[in-house]
Amino acid sequence: MSESEAPVLEVSDIVKTFGGVRALAGVSLSLKPGTVHCLAGENGCGKSTLIKIISGVERPDSGRIVVAGTEHDRMTPSGAMDAGIQVIYQDFSLFGNLTAAENIVLTGEVAAHRALYSRRRARPAAERIVRELGIKLDLEEDVERLSVADKQLTAICRALVHDARILIMDEPTTALTRTEVQRLFAVVRQLTERGVALLFVSHKLDEVLQVAQTVTILRNGSHVLTAPAAELDGASIGRYMTGHDIDESRQVVRLPADASAVLEVRDLTLPGAYRDVSFTLHRGEILGLTGLLGSGRSEIAESLFGVLPARSGTITVDGQDCTIRSIDDAVAAGIGYVPEDRLTQGLFMDASIADNIIASSLDAYRRRPSRLLDRRRIAETITSLFGRLRIKAPNVSSPVRSLSGGNAQRVVLAKWLATKPKVLILNGPTVGVDVGSKSEILQILRQEAADGRGVLIVSDDVPELVAVCHRVLVIRQGQVVQELEGDGVDLETIQRTMAA
Amino acid sequence: MTAQKEQGSLRRVNASVDEVARSLVGRFQTNRGVRRMLVLVVVAFALFAALRPGVYLSTLNLQNIAVAAPEIGVLAIAQMLAMLTGGIDLSIVAVANLTAITISTLYTAAGSRGDALGPVFILIGLVVALVGGLVNGLLVSRVGITPILATLATMQIFNGLAVVWTGGRTLYGAPRVLTGVGNATVGGIPVLFIALLLVAAGIGILINRTALGHKIQLQGANPTAAAYSGISSRRTLLGTYVMTGLLGGIAGMLFIARNPTASADYGASYTLLVIVIAVLGGTNPNGGFATVTGVVLAALTLQIVSSGFNAMRWSPYQYAVAQGLILIVVMVSDQVHLRRRRRGTPPALPVGPATPPTPV
Repeated sequence: MSESEAPVLEVSDIVKTFGGVRALAGVSLSLKPGTVHCLAGENGCGKSTLIKIISGVERPDSGRIVVAGTEHDRMTPSGAMDAGIQVIYQDFSLFGNLTAAENIVLTGEVAAHRALYSRRRARPAAERIVRELGIKLDLEEDVERLSVADKQLTAICRALVHDARILIMDEPTTALTRTEVQRLFAVVRQLTERGVALLFVSHKLDEVLQVAQTVTILRNGSHVLTAPAAELDGASIGRYMTGHDIDESRQVVRLPADASAVLEVRDLTLPGAYRDVSFTLHRGEILGLTGLLGSGRSEIAESLFGVLPARSGTITVDGQDCTIRSIDDAVAAGIGYVPEDRLTQGLFMDASIADNIIASSLDAYRRRPSRLLDRRRIAETITSLFGRLRIKAPNVSSPVRSLSGGNAQRVVLAKWLATKPKVLILNGPTVGVDVGSKSEILQILRQEAADGRGVLIVSDDVPELVAVCHRVLVIRQGQVVQELEGDGVDLETIQRTMAA
Repeated sequence: MTAQKEQGSLRRVNASVDEVARSLVGRFQTNRGVRRMLVLVVVAFALFAALRPGVYLSTLNLQNIAVAAPEIGVLAIAQMLAMLTGGIDLSIVAVANLTAITISTLYTAAGSRGDALGPVFILIGLVVALVGGLVNGLLVSRVGITPILATLATMQIFNGLAVVWTGGRTLYGAPRVLTGVGNATVGGIPVLFIALLLVAAGIGILINRTALGHKIQLQGANPTAAAYSGISSRRTLLGTYVMTGLLGGIAGMLFIARNPTASADYGASYTLLVIVIAVLGGTNPNGGFATVTGVVLAALTLQIVSSGFNAMRWSPYQYAVAQGLILIVVMVSDQVHLRRRRRGTPPALPVGPATPPTPV
């Protein structure tokens, strides 16, 4: 693990262009065994392209890839695996209907051209890896029933079965709670002791600094700097990533004392998820709902939107008692919901930005008596939201698939703003969104609240809650355990209450 | 300064409005499926016209094509609609036959008043088709049965009913309203063909210009996101299958208009054929994308090839082989296009040896 040790992976002067757009302009990176290297940068800076090149999915226009002293001028995905490179993508690429043990062993069996799968051989191999890493993982459980953190562990174990020397992890911490992140980092330390070189791709700066020894920052496809993590802090990394200072300070406008209630929740209960949840959201207010994963925060949001109807309790929107038994009921009551899983629940990836924006408000644009859609008014709505939310795309007919996380999230937001909701619920509004885009999205939420909507943010990103929320409710084991207001909303208090 | 700014933003709004308008109206020009089918239609036509100009270019042959294509075209449009939601409707041909049988039976039963009551019988025939579609719709949207299984079951039921009802015999006779239409032409163009164009235009408007049409596309593109967007899958799917039922009924009317007979086993090969046509026309079998124009052109292509084989006196079995080959060639070209796009290179510039070899 000495400093002088030869790098296990060296890429130099990588250039890659897509149809005239330069994605990478001469990027170099070197990875030493037994170290953690962080690749940071905003979405669209070229991080993903670089990983794809290292793992052989994309071919660079020019540049060198050297793995353990061997130059690969034509890296292929299987060549990369043979060279000991494993990538764990955000979706983990696991088979949900197979058990954890099967997932860990199966791809290796296939790669070894074994015709028959042997349960007897699989189990011990998986158990050995789990034991070596000193982790707890239910190997017999179907992967689709595992938590996000356990799915990730499964993916890590699978990579190790393949004798990974270089493990690349794409945004490994975004879907994890603080405790889970710490558990992941413990595993990461185990891995470095085994001599594995890790490349973390992330934009969660504070976490990255805890575990990485070296940080490389990209901006717009160019290499900005590589430096020891000890010489950097969150603010300086943010500055290198965006090219300007990022404001994450608390900016909350005082609510008028007579602000009326737009959403009132009384004694909402769903056995097994949460009970006796009561709160009031006022017009113009941003209310935060936080808690660890599994605390019931997401379930409360999903109940309010009718995905997971509550068993008992009352919901009042704008003074009207509502029975919310389905998503239709919630939308009819004036509730909009930006879901946690943007890619599958929020967006139609192959449809255009325009089609996505209009998806929830189609019925409002029916002309009488023909019932045909009023295309002029639709175009006006789309154009105005496209501009107002500053969605960065060539035009509104670009497919959503081509957008970065931050811009895709703006499209989901635009879809709901087009319905002019009274209450806007956002579950993890900035998950997978880069820092620059994040502060802009938070600013949009402040603006929407100021326009008279009630905004409910469900999140475990505490700095974000502190930055925008008038009040924060902390959920623990399905119950509201604390309400923080005004100056009481601060990082330390929230984190302490969440984990207590 | 502000005036300039205003002008700039106005220009931007204008440009965006244009953009939206173009994307809504002009999908058809930019669509690969449509362009490809247009080429295929022309190539197929030119080929047979060159091989057998005397027979192939005769008015009789051209009118034959124009009379035979509509029933398949309407069925394929119905199939396209079901596939647009990510589903499939195997029962449409059975529904069409049921409609034809209903109309023919009522006509024969009414005796001398049959022609006068024709419009009523047609209406009853369409109601039968709507009920068929409604059953499919309820099974898929309320009960939640996978479309392929639900419509497989109803196909068996509708077919069975038709056989029991007719005793397996072919029924003769149809109201003069229909047979008259079947033989009529307007400016040399058979009315049946005009009916196909009207149906195509109607469904085109449904898909592109109504809320239901947009919901059908979104439902097929991503059912989960559709649910989370407040689009009721129940209503959308119910609407879709009622519509495919209705189109099946219209196809049944075309059957009997072209040829005043009805039987339980008419068009037995159509069920699979219309799936082929829908896919050829650029319909994504996984849902979310389709164009009516593409499907109509695909129906025409197959009809042109079929009548070409007739003109060349090649056997229907050879025609079946040709059908399969056309489907494979189109699918291969799809794959090649997809891979090129994935590699991020423009399709016009193939990249050396990495281009997948075209199977010979």
